[in-house]
Amino acid sequence: MPEATFRIHRYDPERDGDRRWQEFTVPYESSLTVLEGLFYIQESLDGSLSFRYCCRAAVCGSCAMYINGRYRLACQTNVKNLEDAPITVEPLPHMPLVKDLVCDMTDFFAKYEYVKPYIMHDSKYPEKETLQSPEDRRKLDNPVDCILCGSCYSSCPSVWGEDNYLGPAALLWAYRFEADTRDEARKARVSSFDNERGVYRCHTITNCVEACPKELNPTEAVQWLKGAAVRRRIFGRWK
Amino acid sequence: MRQEVLRKGEGGVWPWFLQRITAVLLLYGLTVHLVVLHVLNIGRLTFDNIGDRLGSGFFVFTDFLLLFAVVFHGLNGVRMVLLDYGFQGSKRTALDAALVVIGVAAIAYGIWAFWPWLTD
Repeated sequence: MPEATFRIHRYDPERDGDRRWQEFTVPYESSLTVLEGLFYIQESLDGSLSFRYCCRAAVCGSCAMYINGRYRLACQTNVKNLEDAPITVEPLPHMPLVKDLVCDMTDFFAKYEYVKPYIMHDSKYPEKETLQSPEDRRKLDNPVDCILCGSCYSSCPSVWGEDNYLGPAALLWAYRFEADTRDEARKARVSSFDNERGVYRCHTITNCVEACPKELNPTEAVQWLKGAAVRRRIFGRWK
Repeated sequence: MRQEVLRKGEGGVWPWFLQRITAVLLLYGLTVHLVVLHVLNIGRLTFDNIGDRLGSGFFVFTDFLLLFAVVFHGLNGVRMVLLDYGFQGSKRTALDAALVVIGVAAIAYGIWAFWPWLTD
């Protein structure tokens, strides 16, 4: 049976505290994904290997990893499409490590929450359903596909340099609700990102666009938010 | 980091917006510069010719516009780079003050250089 070699980043803070590489040989089938390879290693070769996963269908964003030098979702990465051998699997770079392939997403989700990623109304309970035209809804087609995998956040040099910068994912979600005609959050949300810890820390490096496994464009969203900030101040328009 | 720990940000919109505006002004200034010096007046760049040109309101206006735009765009660019290196609190106030002093000095020097043609 053909085999595939996985070269995996190992880190155990309790045991050695050192980061090291370990190679595993996995039986290869043409449909093998990187995540399935990791399952095989955990079940048959080394039960101490840690990694995150959940849906196995590129929807939950848990298994984002740095595979063969690119940000990918382990569940949707077919081994047969990877050109280089061995298959190198690392956790998301520039993130605090928990163990092996698991990194600490606390900051990432704190910043996501910080931009109030939900629709807000002036009145607490709207009397009837808020409708939206199909054209207005189409503006949101792109950002709603974000699965919060953290690839963009991990790839952003502005995030590496500034702990307080909200980062591309949180700002993409801020855009998703700012661009939504049903939302009336106004200052409640704008005050979270319309500042130097928010959109103005983005220098349009576009690493996030390259990293995103869903092919979304956080940079464009951030630029839209900057433009909206100027329009709001000059013309007093919130939307 | 918990959500409450995130430090609140401040400002940023006008420096960002003016950086775009001055970029457009720089493009305008560069175009005028290249067209006037490298296309229209090639071979006629004497001190007297340049002095004559500075008698025209259009060129004085363009030169001043360029002076302000260059100084702002350059120093604001430096500021954006330095802010990425953790200038906060009193360090940031000192940085802003230093850049304002440099900017005012540069503009004063530019005006001083223009002065003989303006007062003629």
